[in-house]
Amino acid sequence: MSDRLGLTILGGFLGAGKTTWLRHQRHAGLYRETWLIVNEAAVEPVDDRLLDWGAGLEVLSGGCACCDALAPLRERLRALCDARSAGRGPGTVLLETSGLADPAPIAAMIQADPVLARHLRLTEIIVLVDAVKGPARIATEPLARAQIAAADRIILTKTDRAGTPGLDRLRASVSALAPGAVVSAAVLGVAVSLPPADQNALPLEIGPEEGTPLDAHVLDVAGTDWAALSVWLSALIHARGADILRIKGVVHSPAGPLLLQSVGRQMQPPERLDAATDRLVLIGRGTSQAALVRSLARWSAG
Amino acid sequence: MCAGCGAPPLPGHWTDAGAATPADRLRIRSARVQVLARILAGRHLTVRDGLLVPGLTLAATGGRQVIVPDLDALWSAAERLTGRCLDPLDDV
Repeated sequence: MSDRLGLTILGGFLGAGKTTWLRHQRHAGLYRETWLIVNEAAVEPVDDRLLDWGAGLEVLSGGCACCDALAPLRERLRALCDARSAGRGPGTVLLETSGLADPAPIAAMIQADPVLARHLRLTEIIVLVDAVKGPARIATEPLARAQIAAADRIILTKTDRAGTPGLDRLRASVSALAPGAVVSAAVLGVAVSLPPADQNALPLEIGPEEGTPLDAHVLDVAGTDWAALSVWLSALIHARGADILRIKGVVHSPAGPLLLQSVGRQMQPPERLDAATDRLVLIGRGTSQAALVRSLARWSAG
Repeated sequence: MCAGCGAPPLPGHWTDAGAATPADRLRIRSARVQVLARILAGRHLTVRDGLLVPGLTLAATGGRQVIVPDLDALWSAAERLTGRCLDPLDDV
């Protein structure tokens, strides 16, 4: 796997602090060998000037990497894969998405592309959440929730300016949207420690524009055979992919424990890990835990 | 990629990741087609896996049949053949 080009996606809503965070990481000596692609929805780019990145920076402007700029992004990533295969070019790439981009379609594009699927490895999706404005975004913007749901790692920014009750509710919301993601905090890019989470804090209320809230369900799949589980999951993703935003878990298979993670209708190529949790986290709307358990039991019976 | 049939254009479907050896691969395909046959029988569809050739053959009563490369394509084809949504959360 190490001969593949590693891609990290850095996302987060408009103004979440992506560029600030990245600047500090660079200042602190991280991502030294990393090629940076900055995506901006605006035609006139700004972020590249803020970042003292040297040679390995390019700008993808005039559209979101998840929609309008998806085709140019694919071409750039293919070119970087070509360069890597030829023995030149960077080993890792970081994509800073625009604040209006949803990382899920980017992950889907990579998986569906015959070249990128073989030459690129999606290392991590990092999503920054503004601790001050984030709660209002989560309440009213489906996109903000989709970004959080797609994340592997969530970094809360501007936590020094957020009150404790608000921060607790934000953390409860973030954990509900992305139960598998690691949550940390940073102020101006510098990592800060978070106090222990208040377990009784209620998640934020979702605004009126979205009738059904997202639910996270945890399914115990310890006794389920891999063939039946994979058939059921593929049918579930096919039928409910629009409503089930994310599936994540490590399950048993004849080949060993497999990490399954889907974003929307796209299941990532499963990775083999050391130990299985035999639990699947499903995040979506319009379904219930009981319906999922019954359905899986029926499909795997016999 | 196979120059004859164009398959497979992408690394295997994710549902094939459960097998590390050729024997496992056959066993899983065989187990999978049994699960599929049981589920699809309720929709008046039959499914066969030749095991030594790629793809699954899905057939409707009346003789219409289609060969699909993987499970994603299978669910779409099943919906086309039956004209109905196939949702595992619907109680059949």
